[in-house]
Amino acid sequence: MKGTTHSAAPAVVAEFLGKIMPFKELAPEIIDQVARKVKVDFFPKGTRLLEAGKSEIKYLHLIQKGGVKCFIVDDEGAVTLKDYRGEGDCIGALGIIRGTLANLDVEMVEDTFCFLLPRAVFLELISSQPGFSQYYLKSFSEKIVATAYSELRHHRVGRSNDSSLHLFSIQVGDIIRQAPRTIAADASIRQAAAKMAEFRVASLLIHEPDDEEQIIGIVTDRDLRNKVLAPGLDSNEPIRAVMSAPVATVLSQATCFDALLRMMSGSTHHLAVEQKDKIIGVITSHDIALLQGHAPYSLFKEIGKQQRIDGLYPLSRKIPEMIRNLIKEGARAGHIARMIAILNDQILERLLTLLEEELGPPPVAYCWLLMGSEGRREQTFRTDQDNAILYEDPADAQQAAACEAYFAALARLAIEHLVQCGYPLCPGEIMATNPKWRQPLSAWKQCFSDWAALPEPEEVLNASIFFDFRAGFGKAILADELRQHLNGLTKKSELYLFHLARQCLSAKAPLSFFKNFIVDKDGEHKNKLDIKVQGLTPFVNFARILALRHGIRETNTLARLQVLGKEKILSEELLAAATDAYEMQMQLRLVHQLNQLEVNTPPDNHIAPADLSELDRRMLRDAFEVIDRLHAVLKTFFPAL
Amino acid sequence: MSLLSYLRELLEQRQPHPLLVENRRRFAQFDQNKPLTDYSFVVLDTELTGLSYKDEIISIGAVKISNMQLELGNVFHTLVRPLNLKHNQATFIHQITPDQLRAARPIRDVLPEFVEFCGDALLIGHFLEIDMGYLNRATKKVLGGTLANPTIDTLRLVKAYKETSYVCDYGYCDQSLPCNLNEIAEEFKLPRFKAHSALEDALQCAYLFLFLAKKLNNGQVQTLRQLHNVGQPLLLRQN
Repeated sequence: MKGTTHSAAPAVVAEFLGKIMPFKELAPEIIDQVARKVKVDFFPKGTRLLEAGKSEIKYLHLIQKGGVKCFIVDDEGAVTLKDYRGEGDCIGALGIIRGTLANLDVEMVEDTFCFLLPRAVFLELISSQPGFSQYYLKSFSEKIVATAYSELRHHRVGRSNDSSLHLFSIQVGDIIRQAPRTIAADASIRQAAAKMAEFRVASLLIHEPDDEEQIIGIVTDRDLRNKVLAPGLDSNEPIRAVMSAPVATVLSQATCFDALLRMMSGSTHHLAVEQKDKIIGVITSHDIALLQGHAPYSLFKEIGKQQRIDGLYPLSRKIPEMIRNLIKEGARAGHIARMIAILNDQILERLLTLLEEELGPPPVAYCWLLMGSEGRREQTFRTDQDNAILYEDPADAQQAAACEAYFAALARLAIEHLVQCGYPLCPGEIMATNPKWRQPLSAWKQCFSDWAALPEPEEVLNASIFFDFRAGFGKAILADELRQHLNGLTKKSELYLFHLARQCLSAKAPLSFFKNFIVDKDGEHKNKLDIKVQGLTPFVNFARILALRHGIRETNTLARLQVLGKEKILSEELLAAATDAYEMQMQLRLVHQLNQLEVNTPPDNHIAPADLSELDRRMLRDAFEVIDRLHAVLKTFFPAL
Repeated sequence: MSLLSYLRELLEQRQPHPLLVENRRRFAQFDQNKPLTDYSFVVLDTELTGLSYKDEIISIGAVKISNMQLELGNVFHTLVRPLNLKHNQATFIHQITPDQLRAARPIRDVLPEFVEFCGDALLIGHFLEIDMGYLNRATKKVLGGTLANPTIDTLRLVKAYKETSYVCDYGYCDQSLPCNLNEIAEEFKLPRFKAHSALEDALQCAYLFLFLAKKLNNGQVQTLRQLHNVGQPLLLRQN
């Protein structure tokens, strides 16, 4: 009968499977075979589908429409909510794979239709399809993150037509053109120059005289010009005298974009490429520029060369456009944030340098501090100014008055120009124009001490903005000293950290659930999720508290997490999960804001889960799960919470 | 109708096809008191050339429910070549072309397979009377009798569901009732299927049935008889 009528399973299930992980990676004929084994069942809202420790799992349930909650009831009857799952999610995979009874209680929170895949069919897929079991066992594997990024690029931004993905796909090791040319450190400058001419290279690596593997420095054309010819140095001097040391290195598996960031942040043109502790070559900014990396790098250089302040305005307004292209080309969020920070810093550096020329040198050395997301190097398209000035303690009252006048003028002008450059004013007036945030070092130290001693709510709020400060321009050592002072304070003050942690745990917005997400109940952002407040801020707060507690100097959230991992405060597994979750959300937020800019809407942080792909939603939900785990870690440090 | 075919029909009517004999035997004793999960159901839909008595079936779609689960690997879907292709005015609606119909098998060949597919299942449809009318006319002609399978009309279940559970805030029941399967699916927020394909409509109707059977009477419907009773007036019909 089937042969003559309709032999394929209805399209509905094949279409469904073709959209969800990991089924979508199956060959179409396998999907069709699987689809024929599938049944549909309906469960009214309130149905208890599985009972932990009791229910045998006969089918993998794939939610076609509706939603369920997964929870655990402990011996005393207390319910812990573990997860919400919605369309495209599955129930029971782990139990089937491990051959156990249900490990969670599952109840329908909406009227729910499920596709039922018989246990045996699912197990067959697990054993026959490469990557299938991996998917279920490793819910946040690298592979999925990678797939997700490609999906984000593909579906949500589209491909930019004019560019290749070279900068992000090619590894540094792949663009090395020749083995490194080296010379012993005791060779003469003349010998080195001769060798460079012979091999037609613009740089030589310098090794220890008795060990060719031991690279200790680098000499470039520019060094010969600036350090030998210009000052008239004797070319019989050893090359060691003019080399740059140590050599900036980059791992061979890093992407060219990584290398570009390194070059821009360290203002070096040459990077030695390292593979298994061995230098295998040298790459230059020219090599990178050849890979279509012109845009960011030339903008960076153009800013640095600008001689007039108003010449900076149009350059800084080019940054969002450039970032947009980088996202389209597939840069990851962590990279993008660093790139934005580097370019903004470059604008700031040029602006303040030109202003100093205008106003004359400052009476004492100072440091322009960046706070908040700028301080953490986590800006996106539109970043309010959060800045302050920290200067050396004046010697006497007269100098103090001079400082006050000078820095007031500097701050006023700098902030006006920054507004012209497209950085909006801080609504909370956390800017160097505010006399409270323009102080000598001793006053700043006192200020931080006061906050740490009196954890009133406002002080706790200040902390979140101020404690992420970093040096933006000027004498960075002043910022270092302030950081040391702060770390001394907070490491001791468990009470203060306790208040910070409590604030971190209590920050919960009015909630309702939509497509299993916590969203605003009503108002302008009804059914939307504030990805900054609900998604990213918990990670930022967590990283800050533990950074303060353990005296970590980093301000960037990902960097703080790295250090926490290295110091074994976070498990490797949780570190990886937190990093992925954080970066994934930054990416979603960037893409969201990019899409808003494309239609001339001011960028915000309100994302509608309904608009996300199934994969985005599942990753976002996994990311939220990580928050609970981070909070659990906080509670182990602050048991009284 | 030629005299010859009239005589043949008479002959067939006197001696029903063995399939029909089996079909009647199956439902001679029918117990309504078993739980719903013990029955099997075939949810069906037909596409017709039109709605007059001259019109014919041009497509049958059907899906099977057993243990109250819809089996997606067990479906019936076929086009049927009508005797009179000219009658097919509805090409625009169901998107079946005359060429497709010319290539299809006649109802004479399709029906035995369909009766076998239905087996001992109860038949479910939306506004089923229409489909059953055309089906039984064809079975009479081809197999010499009508189908004995009891039937359930989802339209009646929808009415029952609305009367019992759709009491609004003011305490009065919303009687305005969309009859169209797709409007109902929309209202109950069911997963959606393409309209005007016999198989997709049968699937849509099957989803509706699963939904109603488990939602009626606050999910307290256990046996077929209980389903019958909530769905007054008459739901169950024995031919």
